[in-house]
Formats: sequence, structure tokens, C-alpha cells
Amino acid sequence: MLDEEEQLSQALVRIFENVVLTEEKSLQAGYFNDLSIAEMHTLTAIGPYDARTMTKTAEDLGITTGTLTVAIDRLVKKGYVHRERDKKDKRIVRISLTHNGKLACRMNSKFHRVLAKHILAGYDENDRKHILDLVDEVDEYVAQQLRRYDSSENVRATARQVAKDTTKENKKDG
Amino acid sequence: MADSDNLRENVKKEVIRIMAETLEIPAEEITSDLNFNTDLPFDSLQLYEFVIDVEETYNIRLPDELLDEVKTVDQMVDVVMKLTAK
Repeated sequence: MLDEEEQLSQALVRIFENVVLTEEKSLQAGYFNDLSIAEMHTLTAIGPYDARTMTKTAEDLGITTGTLTVAIDRLVKKGYVHRERDKKDKRIVRISLTHNGKLACRMNSKFHRVLAKHILAGYDENDRKHILDLVDEVDEYVAQQLRRYDSSENVRATARQVAKDTTKENKKDG
Repeated sequence: MADSDNLRENVKKEVIRIMAETLEIPAEEITSDLNFNTDLPFDSLQLYEFVIDVEETYNIRLPDELLDEVKTVDQMVDVVMKLTAK
């Protein structure tokens, strides 16, 4: 039998991988199969409402503005993102979601909400509260570990690469 | 008819028009007591198309948490009225 630490450690990694993998498969099987997971996360970072600056969006995604520019070029071509220069300050580029972009973003949020709803469905109110408190604590602890690193950009890029490689490996194996 | 009644009637007409356009059915087939989930042939993509069109028409936000409480055309009209009055 696995000790507690090993059990939790394996479960955390597995949950992370499987959520990403399920999300990817649901994307491929759905209406927005021309979007990659990374592109969908870019749409989510922009959000369905106000226009955002490239700098702030890149910061939220933990990538450079150069990397984001390449991603946005593709998303503009695919018709998911609208890009324009600020009317007052031409140096500032603002990005927002097109109607299709909003649709993709909301369908993706729905995917996550449905997943969460099904996970919580089997529990009574007390247990649900308990689960959410525990998950919050785990979330806060992991976020705290991330903040320990000065260069969060590198850490996030590495985490994303690991997730991508793992997904590829899983696909190869499965 | 009071101004607020007029306004509500206009919002209802517009909400029904958007819904009919999304579902590609005649507006006359939609009555205000119909339930989105059980009475109208929405799939989840169409439901969000409808919601986004309503958001853009009235410049309001209808997040999922709020939509969970909205089941009928009448309730959607109530929410639009409330959010546009702010």
C-alpha cells in the first residue's frame, strides 16, 4: 500500500494531467477543434468582456509579449481575437475576443464548471464545504511555492512544457 | 401603459427576436413562460450564442453564476431590466 505522501503526490500529478488531457480531447471533439489548449487558455486570459493590453495578458499567462504576439497573430487569423491600437496612445495594443472567441471561452468555462459540478454532486453540503476548504488550502500552498521563485515566467513555462510533454507521452502510450 | 411597462415589452420583444434568430424558429413560437432547458431546442453552444448576443445588445454581463438562476424568457427579461437600470 502506498504511504499517504506518495498517494497524494501521485493523485495531484494525475489530476493535473487528466484535466488537461480531458480538456484537450473535449476541444478536439467539439465545435472549436481548430484551437489548441494553449490557444484556449489565451482566450480565457483575455476574457469575454473588456479589452486588455498585451502586456497585462502576457503577464497573466506567464509568457513574454513576444510569445503572446505570435499566439495572437494566429488567433486573429482564426477569427477569435480582435486587435487594435489604443485610440489615445498608439503605443498600446488592446486585444479583445470576437463573438466566436467569446463563445469558445464560455464553452470552455462551462467544461470546467460541469467537471466541478459532477465532482461535488455526490456529497452533502457539509462535505462539499470541507472539500472546498481543503482544495483552497492545497491551492494556496502550491501558489505560495510558485511565488518563492523570482522568475515566475520560467517556472510557468517549464510547468507548461512538462504538461505538454506528458500529454504527448500519454497520447503515444494510449 | 407606464414607461417601465413599455420598456419591459421592448426588451421582451428583443430578447425573443434574438432567441428566434439563434434557434432559427419563428418568434411567434416563443412565449415568455417557456423554459430554456426543457421547452426550447437550445444546445449549449446556441444558449451561449443567445447569451452573448443579449450581452452585446444591452452592454451587460451575464456570467454563468447568474445564468444558473435564469430559466425562462420572462426571467431573462427581468435580469436584463435589472442590469440595464444600474
